[in-house]
Parts: sequence; structure tokens; C-alpha cells
Amino acid sequence: MSVAIEIQNINKRYGDLEALKDINLTIDQGEFFGLLGPNGAGKSTLIGILGGLVNKDFGRITVLGKDIISNYRETKKSLGIVPQEVTFDPYFNVRETLEIQSGYFGIKNNDHKINELLEALDLTDKAEIGPRQLSGGMKRRLLIAKALVHDPEIIVLDEPTAGVDVELRNSLWDYVIKLNQQGKTIILTTHYLEEAETLCDRIAIMNKGEIVKIDTKENLINSIDKKLVSVKFANSVAGLADKLAGTNCKVDEDDNRIEIEASKNDLNDLLQFINNLDLHIVDMNIESAKLEDVFIKLTNLGSESDDNE
Amino acid sequence: MIMNSITFYSLVKREVSRFAKVAIQTIFAPLISTGLYLIIFSYSFKSREVVGNGIPYINFIVPGLIMMSLIQNSFANTSSSLIGAKYNGNIVDFLLAPFSYIELTLGFMIGGIVRGMLVGSVIYLVSILFYGGKVAHPLLAILFAFLVSSTFSLLGIIAGLWAEKFDHVSIFSNFFITPLTFLSGVFYSVKGLPGIWSKVSLFNPVFYMVDATRYAFVGQSDMNPSLSLVIITVLAVGLLMLVTYLFKIGYKVKS
Repeated sequence: MSVAIEIQNINKRYGDLEALKDINLTIDQGEFFGLLGPNGAGKSTLIGILGGLVNKDFGRITVLGKDIISNYRETKKSLGIVPQEVTFDPYFNVRETLEIQSGYFGIKNNDHKINELLEALDLTDKAEIGPRQLSGGMKRRLLIAKALVHDPEIIVLDEPTAGVDVELRNSLWDYVIKLNQQGKTIILTTHYLEEAETLCDRIAIMNKGEIVKIDTKENLINSIDKKLVSVKFANSVAGLADKLAGTNCKVDEDDNRIEIEASKNDLNDLLQFINNLDLHIVDMNIESAKLEDVFIKLTNLGSESDDNE
Repeated sequence: MIMNSITFYSLVKREVSRFAKVAIQTIFAPLISTGLYLIIFSYSFKSREVVGNGIPYINFIVPGLIMMSLIQNSFANTSSSLIGAKYNGNIVDFLLAPFSYIELTLGFMIGGIVRGMLVGSVIYLVSILFYGGKVAHPLLAILFAFLVSSTFSLLGIIAGLWAEKFDHVSIFSNFFITPLTFLSGVFYSVKGLPGIWSKVSLFNPVFYMVDATRYAFVGQSDMNPSLSLVIITVLAVGLLMLVTYLFKIGYKVKS
């Protein structure tokens, strides 16, 4: 598989703040890649350098094998970047905006693609409306349409679904999945970890300007030794709380259900214990750790945070 | 390749469409204000001639007024376009798109030139009613209009890039452009100024622009028009190179 983006030793400093510390990352063509991290982790700075919005201090980035500085005109045509901040050109309606944007990327008569995007992003009936009259979610969808109007090989979505309602979020993801299936490389940053867990093949977790972990989604989740065992009984569970004292468990006496958190090694003993309870089991579920658990563990989220991004 | 015709044309189209969409503010408002100057001066100084030039005052003032509007409008177009793009955040459109730095420079500059020359032309058409419309060297007038609007479009780009809010553009306009324009001999002959003031005026680049345009209109000027042409051309080319460099380093638009 050929390389879509190669990031080598990228450093960026704002005064005393080291926004990016020696970032190295390779993203293959066709990947659905997640870039996660708390506010101030450096995700948007990295994307800004990729797109030419931020000057790097040191390092090199190539897009489809071409340097983003010496071949910036070619690399920009291969990238479709949806910036995190909602922006708009107040002078032009939705369709005019997309026509002008097509022109910027050297495309004339792009009506077919523009209509496809308006349809996919549910903006068709807003095509002749000025951006000031669009809601926040609609403005964000217009930003997404602008980034895709030149049919880029690599699509970078920086928090694309913030402020977009659930229904439209789903239709947006259906469209992005379709693009990925057509061979486009997708890079996603999001605060909705379930989205990353559902969509991404591989994930890099950033914190304080560094990539703290990069792996496939499965490996990341498996790296957390946690199973959540949930058992529903036909009989009353009253009194079980005493027997389970010392374990990390919840007893729901109304629903006759217990939930116990255990490590993989303890799973065998736990299941034997449940079997020996002499209660009739009606339902059982064992859940693995979630991406959120990995994220919290790697970023120490909650213990400290900064908002430099 | 440093120029892509569709990419470049799209930026020019955007810049021209932008001011055309608010034509009342960008074309008609300057027409009204300059029209008022023409009415007031043509009636107040009806029988006056300019000292040393021997031409009616209205004939003297028309080229200066046209040049003043052209300067203000070409500057306003590029500066407001860029500060507006920074304010609304859509400056990223120009940074993310595959523009070469010279394309960005020329694209914004041509937007300013079109507005400046359009306003200048409309004012000229109106001035025909006041002085008859005679132009001694029409091609020279067009050449000077082009060079002057280029120069102030480029200055507008610098102001727009430098400014962090709309107020900053006003500072540039009120404390730099307007004084230089009013003290450039639009309303009077610099030759008639007392002592040192006529010498000081020679350091004002706008003086050469107004003076050269006056030569193109009435065939008389305080300075040799060839010298003015050289000065204006050098200034325009120097600013063109500076603005291209500012886009290259992302002056005040890239962090």
C-alpha cells in the first residue's frame, strides 16, 4: 500500500509552548485514520501545518510522496481540509461559494460534483441562500462541501460534526464511509470517541504535543485489561452485594442484575463464582474496554488540561 | 508553473464580484462625494484660473479628483477584502487553495485596479458635464490610472494583512493615505506653495501621481511627466515584490 502522508520530525513552538514535539507519523492511502487527543494536544496545529495554515519550525511532511513546501500547489490539490473553526464568505450564497472554491482548485463547470455534495450534505434547498442565513450546523456542512469540491485524494476532517445534529451526522458519516470505500484516505479528529471507535482503522492519540500511542483500534482497546461482565438472574440478587464485597461491582436489585469489572486473568474465576451462586441466569454480556478508556488512560484526562489549541 | 489560469481567474472574479455585490457602497458612494466636490468647486471658483498655469480651476482640479477617488477606492477594495476575510475567517480559503504567491498578489491587486479604474472612469464621465471632457493624452491617462491603482491596491493588501481589526485599516487610511492625497496638489499647484513646502511636497509620492495625471489631462505639469512615470513604476514594482514576499511568509495570516 502506498503512503498518503508521511510526517517526519515535525516541531512547532509558540513562545514557551512546545505545540508539537518531534511528530513522526505515516498514514497509508485508503486508511480511515483517527487523530485523537484533548484540547491543546496539537492536533489542529499538525493539520494546520499539513494544509499550509501554520508554519512549521522543523521537519518535513510529504503528501503522496511530494513535499508540502517545495510542491505546495500539487499537495494542496490532493488535500481536502475541513478546518475546525466555522468560517464563511458573506458575499456569496452556497452555490456561488462552491463554484468559486472549485475555481480556486482549477476546476471549471463543476456543477455535477457541486450538486452531488449539496445532495449528500442536505444543502440542496439552501443552495441559493447566503451564509449568514445558515444555521451553525449548515455552515459546517458548507465547510465540508468546500473541502470536497475538488475531489481530493486525502480528506482531513477536523472536528467535522461539532454542532451537527445526530441525523445529519449519520448521513455525513455514510457519505464519508462511501468516499473511503472509493479509496480516499480519511483523517479524522473528533471529540466523539464513539465515532472514532466506529469509523477508524488506526488511531493516534496525542497529548501535549506528542503522539503517545499509535496502533490499530483493536490493539488499542485490547491494551486495556478490562472486561465488564453483566449478568441478569431470574431470582432475586438481594444479599449478593455482601458476597461480592471487595470487587468492583454494581448490584441492581430491581432488575436482578449484577455488573462486575474484572481483568482478563480473573475472568475464569469470576465465571465459576457466578456459576456456583445457584441462581438461574437469564442473560449475560461481557463487554471489552472502550476507546474512551484507552483515551483517558493515555491522556490522563481529568487530572489536568490546557486549552492552547 | 506559477500561474494557473482558472485558479487565478477565479480569484479575480471573486474580488470583482465582491465589490460589485455592494455597488451602492463601492461605486455610487464615491461618485456622490466626488460629484459634490465638482459642483462646489466649479461654482465657487467659476472664473478663477490656477496661478502660473493659466487654465480654468475646474480643468485643473478634475484630474486630481479622479486620481483621489481612484487611490481611495483601489486601496479600500484590497484592504477591506483582506481584513473582512480575516474577520470572517475565510482567509483560510486562500491559504488552503493551491494559489501561487504571485497569483494571490495579482488576483487581489486586479480586483483593486478594476474598482479604482471603474470609479475613476465614472467620475470622468460625470466631469464631462463640468469641463467638457478634453483629455490631452488619453493613453497616458489610462497608463497612469493603471499604475496608480496598482500601487494603492498593493498598499491596501499590506494594510489588510497588517490590520488585526477594521480600525487598523482606518488608521492606515486616515493617517497615511488621506493626508498624502490632500497634500499632493489635488486642489492647488505645488509650485505656488511658499518656500520649503513646495520642496517637501516632492517627497510625497502621490504628488507625482496627481501631477502626471494632470499632464495627461491638460498637457501641463509641475514636474517632468517622464520622471513621474519612473517614480510611480518603481514604486509599483517594489510593492508588487514586497506583497508577494508577504504572502510567501504568511505575514500575519499564518501562525
